Amino acid sequence: MKKLFTQISLVSFLTFTLFACSKSSDTTVVNNTPVTATVKDLMADTVLGLDPTSGMPYSAGKYTFYSIENNAIVSNADSATTKWDLAFASTKILTNGGTSGTGKGGAFIYKGLFDDIKTIASDSVFKTDNAPTAYAITTGSGNGWYTYDGASNLITPIAGRIIVIKTASGKYAKLEIQSYYKGGVTLSPTATDAEKLTKSRYYTFRYTYQPNGTTTF
Amino acid sequence: MLANGQFAPSKNMNDTLYANGDSVVVTANRSERKLSNVTVPVTIINSKTIQQNGSLRLTDILQEQTGLTLTSGFGVGVQLQGLNPDYTIILINGEPLVGRTAGVLDLNRVALGNIKKIEIVKGPSSSLYGSEAMAGVINIITDASTSIPLLASLRYGTYNTLDASVNNTLASKSLFYQGFYNYYTTDGYSIRPNSNNRVTTPITRLTTSQQFKYKLSDNTSLVFNTRLTDENIKSNIAVSNGGVTIYSNGEEHNTDVNLTGSLNHRFSNHLKTSFRSYLTNYVSNQDLLTLSGAPYTDLLNHLFQRVENQTDWTLSKNLSGIFGAGEVWEGVKSSRYDSEKVRKNNTIQYGFTQWEWAPIEKLILVGGVRFDQNANYASAWSPKLSMLYKINAQHKIKLSVGQGFKAPDFRQLYLDFTNAAAGNYSVFGSSEAQKVIGQLNSLGQIGALYSNYYQLKSLQPESSTGIHLSWDWTPNQKTFISTQIFRNDIKNLIQVQQVGAYMSGAQIFSYLNIGRAFTNGAEIETKYQLNQHWTLSGGYQFIVTGDKDEIAQINAGTVYTRNTLGVSSRLTISDYVGLPNISKHKAQFKINYVTEDGFFANCRFVYRSKWAVNNTDGNQVYDTGDTFAEGYVSAFTSLGKNYKNGLSLQVGCDNVTNYVDASNLSNLPGRTFYFSIKYQLINKK
Repeated sequence: MKKLFTQISLVSFLTFTLFACSKSSDTTVVNNTPVTATVKDLMADTVLGLDPTSGMPYSAGKYTFYSIENNAIVSNADSATTKWDLAFASTKILTNGGTSGTGKGGAFIYKGLFDDIKTIASDSVFKTDNAPTAYAITTGSGNGWYTYDGASNLITPIAGRIIVIKTASGKYAKLEIQSYYKGGVTLSPTATDAEKLTKSRYYTFRYTYQPNGTTTF
Repeated sequence: MLANGQFAPSKNMNDTLYANGDSVVVTANRSERKLSNVTVPVTIINSKTIQQNGSLRLTDILQEQTGLTLTSGFGVGVQLQGLNPDYTIILINGEPLVGRTAGVLDLNRVALGNIKKIEIVKGPSSSLYGSEAMAGVINIITDASTSIPLLASLRYGTYNTLDASVNNTLASKSLFYQGFYNYYTTDGYSIRPNSNNRVTTPITRLTTSQQFKYKLSDNTSLVFNTRLTDENIKSNIAVSNGGVTIYSNGEEHNTDVNLTGSLNHRFSNHLKTSFRSYLTNYVSNQDLLTLSGAPYTDLLNHLFQRVENQTDWTLSKNLSGIFGAGEVWEGVKSSRYDSEKVRKNNTIQYGFTQWEWAPIEKLILVGGVRFDQNANYASAWSPKLSMLYKINAQHKIKLSVGQGFKAPDFRQLYLDFTNAAAGNYSVFGSSEAQKVIGQLNSLGQIGALYSNYYQLKSLQPESSTGIHLSWDWTPNQKTFISTQIFRNDIKNLIQVQQVGAYMSGAQIFSYLNIGRAFTNGAEIETKYQLNQHWTLSGGYQFIVTGDKDEIAQINAGTVYTRNTLGVSSRLTISDYVGLPNISKHKAQFKINYVTEDGFFANCRFVYRSKWAVNNTDGNQVYDTGDTFAEGYVSAFTSLGKNYKNGLSLQVGCDNVTNYVDASNLSNLPGRTFYFSIKYQLINKK
């Protein structure tokens, strides 16, 4: 089932495979080429319905754990391991470090374009999660990767915000969130409330991961 | 209107722009001037146009003027030369209306029943009127003619909209009295199908106005005016938060009282003076209950008192001047401030002078300056220079340069508002923000303070410099063309900024002087009288606006946008659209038909091009990738007859094409019809 919601974009998949083939004769498998992938419609604690008494939306209340290194969803049973790099639940994204996990993970928000980051600046400071007050990927409208419009009730990723990630094993990736809605299309402000609820919390994002541990992509 | 000899049908240049050169304008100079001698751009809308267009409220007539755009949200306001409603002062007989919500004065409040004319001065006019006269001045002048002792009118239309007026005048040699009573009610309307959220809720409004004039002698008169508007609005509000919609029901009750007294004395033909006192009180009370029974109340009480003297002195045929000085006491109580029991106060002292000099017959030069000082924010100097050059009988050139300002309003100084219905964010007025946030911080409730929190200080007035150049061309008796270009540069714009966050992450906002913007545009108005029956008129405005800081950021390459896939790119300046809610193109066109026996008919069209409404890429800047409201044309028509015995009948249809846009044009109902009947007793001269 989960495969349905995550797929490597075809182009990057091909380059990756081709590269892997050409290098397959090497004895030491140190992969120096960054991996670029697009993840579509990653469910992040999606809304299950409205509570009949309070009228508030409810969900399972569980994070979706994701491995940037393997480009795959990680089982919730492995939440205490270093198998995952990011965990998603509604607008909140955890990194595997600090109060959130046992890994070396962290992140910071870079203002600029995805392609602008060729090398992570040496003076960059990776923040770690310090729940419940501060997260490496800052929460709240306008603070981190998104804005929330109270009039239309829509969450929109902020243009030119790149999340620079340190994975659980201490490697680096850059990531751009493209959409928070199912199908990768931000809903129109005039969409129904029901649509805004049921189609939200579906992440589409692209990332480039450098498997060799350097900060250059 | 029939009794009004100056509007003989064959010279029926009755529209807003032409009037005729002998029409008198008071707003441009704070003193009566012939329109042909006024040095700044002025539009006059006379009562005949108001009647023939079937306009009931101030909003109805303003929407059909070139360069004016109605805005909705917190009542219906008017945008002038690309500036928001906050920046246009609205006067009734020269005295300002107060009681703005979020900067907007609801123009539906103003009934047009006893209006003689509306004068619109475009461009900064703070040199005469002080704060708020940054984009311009709209002055509503009530009728004080003695020719109609009694007038009664009744109009009924779609949505059970009923408007009834009585106007009576009593005049003797020394005493003049006029009373005006207007009752307006409507069921409101819902243009959003299957929604119980009405766009306009049921409203009843009562307006009464009384004018007394007593002539103590040939040279001395006492004038006393009262105006009261009382409105009841049945509120049925839906607030959505995180997908949860809370419905509230209740009533909003607004009262607006205006009292004016003046003593006028003419010492000679060269010198006259007038002492005026003005008191106005606007009280708005929203009293709602949510469906679960929780009360929600919102109170605003704005009191404004002013005393003023103005002296007009004519030194010679070529040189005249006015001097004025006054003091304002102003106070606001609001449930959105720290305590609704405590009135926030301000006092303002001001003085102004303006001189008019005609060195040669063809040239008139006007220069003036005003100084406003007050207790709560920095003082302001507002100079203005203007000139009129009559090249010949066909061509006139006007040039004016002036400064306008808008004082920080009480909301920007004292707001203390936390929106429990939507995310618990807070907005604090600038003069309270540091104190309140400091207290919250000592209680451990503050999660973050931004660098701009430390820049919070007493606000400066927002100020603008405007340049207007216009050219009036009358190629022949039947044609009139007026072209105008303008530029307004605005600095110290007061904007809401996030200054910190609670522990929960909820945002904390306050107000800072940060913005710099400009509006730049051109306007053309034309009128052509085909023959004694047919008149065509039209107008067009092109406007470019922008925030100078945003433009600097775009040019520096630090503003980004997203494509439909959500991938970011650098925003280029060609994709920048400037300020939100501004249409680049706006046009109006009118065909008017009249006959000698009092029949009239007209068709009017108003066009507005698309405007940015929502920032969808989160870059805080409006660009071509954002959400726009679609451009549209609305059409209006009416026809009627004014009989010689004083009876008038009229039918009309507004928004003929039934254009609606529920999210962006809540002030535009679908197609509506009306008929009206009016009777006026006419004094035989």
